[in-house]
Amino acid sequence: MTTHTGQAETARSIRENLTEFLQGRTRTDVAPDVDLFATGLVTSLFAMELLVHVERTFVVRVAGPDLTLDNFRTVNRMTELVLRLRGGTDA
Amino acid sequence: MRERKPREPVPAPDAARPELERLATDMVGDRADAWDLAGELPRDLLRELGGKGLLTAQVPARYGGPGLSSVAGGELTAHVGSLCSSLRSVMTSQGMAAWTVERFGDEEQKAAYLGALTSGQLAGVAFSEPGAGSDLAAMATTIRREGDTVVVDGRKVWVTVGAYADLLVVFGRYGTGAAAVVVPADAPGVGLERVADPLGCRAAGHAGIRLEGVRLPADSLLGGAGLPIDWLVTSALTYGRISVAWGCVGILRACLRAACRHAATREQFGAVLAEHQLVARHLAELHVAQEAATRCCEHVSRCWDEGSPELVTAAVTAKHLAAGQAARGAARAVQVMASAGAGDGGPVARAYRDAKLMEIIEGSNEISQLLLGKHALAVWS
Repeated sequence: MTTHTGQAETARSIRENLTEFLQGRTRTDVAPDVDLFATGLVTSLFAMELLVHVERTFVVRVAGPDLTLDNFRTVNRMTELVLRLRGGTDA
Repeated sequence: MRERKPREPVPAPDAARPELERLATDMVGDRADAWDLAGELPRDLLRELGGKGLLTAQVPARYGGPGLSSVAGGELTAHVGSLCSSLRSVMTSQGMAAWTVERFGDEEQKAAYLGALTSGQLAGVAFSEPGAGSDLAAMATTIRREGDTVVVDGRKVWVTVGAYADLLVVFGRYGTGAAAVVVPADAPGVGLERVADPLGCRAAGHAGIRLEGVRLPADSLLGGAGLPIDWLVTSALTYGRISVAWGCVGILRACLRAACRHAATREQFGAVLAEHQLVARHLAELHVAQEAATRCCEHVSRCWDEGSPELVTAAVTAKHLAAGQAARGAARAVQVMASAGAGDGGPVARAYRDAKLMEIIEGSNEISQLLLGKHALAVWS
């Protein structure tokens, strides 16, 4: 996963990773635009697991103003967050 | 300005652990019984231990802490827990406050607060309220922005270290979500009342706290403000659960030490107690309890050090297992020691009372079971 093979390719692999993680933990196929909180798929413990997973897998730190529910609401939102944080890290 | 990677690979400074253990052994000496009976730890001692890193073992070196891994910090916690659960309880609170700042604070907040917590200042974390114990979503304490200040109003109960604290990490409602704010204990509007005669960890400085129109600079508010309350507290509680679980390992070790020494020397019916099979069974079960709790704690600490998401559930599992084992193990130890262990303030009498509290704090047995039941269904159904 190099950063310069194209944003689209990177975004796809991030989405796949997140979908797989969610599938493994919730035993549900989660579409990338499904609201994880509205559907009750993400419990309080699982919310933190998700945060830890995102930070470890994509080597980012989600802190301060980035720690919002909206950034974790869907697989797509998390993917955008990771891409944005990585942009910051690589700079 | 993303300052760094989430959590460094397992830190090297674990070599500092033996020295910190010796420091704890020397500083506690034979005084734990008296501290328990008096319901008070010497403040100077707490400040000295804090300044030497014992109370914030996992805070990274760049913020002034020893930077131990969770595995090494856990063993240190167990060691202190085997000497004095009140002191261990202070370690848990201070560590939880530090972790909350490290997790949610910005770089300036981390430098300021972690610097204070590693140089002798003491901190408690305020979760529970008169109407919000297990049901933290029922919190009534409010934190609100007013211009370049935040205003905190509410009442907190059973804040460990509350009576000794310089800083309080207070959780409360914030808009439609929740937030954590760092409140100096001497800020105008903060009132303290000591919990009289707690059942266990009697010297840990439990206090109720009143916050009446406490106005603070806006930068007292930690990041993540607005998140749902359970998102915010799960992070602090996960640290706390791991620390409590290791503390329970310490309780079990203290019980093993006392019960085995007694059983090896005390004679009844012409034989030492250990040769009576019903007594030997107690010792065997204590041994198994200590082993099981230790392995479970090592697992969750490895998850923490590796940044594995499994750590969240593993922390509840470890806390639940270790607290139950400590409560039953301490009862066994009192049983083996009988009248020799029945003096209040003694190691197994303290263990018996302290362990019971461990089944209540950082998620009662029942709350832990609810969380683990949900998890089991998600994984195994």
